[in-house]
Amino acid sequence: MKKALILLGCPEAPSQTPMAVYSVYKLTSLGYQVTVASTPSALKLLEVSDPQEFYVKNKIDIESCLENLEEGSFDLLVGFVHKDAAVSYFVTFYSILNTTSIAVVFERDSEALENYVESIEQSTEATIVSARAYHNPTPLRVKFDRALKKLED
Amino acid sequence: MSFCLDTYLQESENYEILISRAGFKECKQLIEKHAPEIIHVKAGEKILGVRIIGIPPIAIGIDENKGTITLPYTKPCYGTSVVELPVDKEEIDNIKALDIKE
Repeated sequence: MKKALILLGCPEAPSQTPMAVYSVYKLTSLGYQVTVASTPSALKLLEVSDPQEFYVKNKIDIESCLENLEEGSFDLLVGFVHKDAAVSYFVTFYSILNTTSIAVVFERDSEALENYVESIEQSTEATIVSARAYHNPTPLRVKFDRALKKLED
Repeated sequence: MSFCLDTYLQESENYEILISRAGFKECKQLIEKHAPEIIHVKAGEKILGVRIIGIPPIAIGIDENKGTITLPYTKPCYGTSVVELPVDKEEIDNIKALDIKE
């Protein structure tokens, strides 16, 4: 079974948790075994959103995940990026895993969004899904679906 | 027992934070300006027991006279800090061996 890792950033942007649950749903339906790596606070939001683990079955602390990460551990990396630190985390996970990757980049501020996208473009060959988004996950969801479809074709 | 940066920062006061809650690029520039010797490492390289997080090549500062290294330290909700801390000569040599020599 193919394995996917979803990397969550700081949970302060409201779009992240619903997009995380949605991404797990989409990737599971595409045949991936999905693990979500997150901070304890982002994990709490997931636990409340999906209390019976209907969608999110495998969760791991981001630091423990990073500590034990090796090339080949996952077939697909999906990283949520809406802070400078998340760019660093995504690029680091990408560098270690050296696998197919999608960066889901979102920000309210267009200049910050552009900077995050540019940093990822310069450091990785990841597919980048980006949108000016904060509360509303729809622009991200639509672009994420397109990226997944392209990946599967 | 091997050295662990996370534990060290929690239990010691013998280090200096040069900047905190900053962006990675700003931290890299600060390290390159601050330290007399710079090496560059890959993202995810283990230094002092933790994986170094950032955009490669990641600058690590070395000051052999002071016996310190200066490195970025990133947490998801708090951005990147730059920490200078004392390490022994053997550890400095281990870190130098990680240089990807741009």
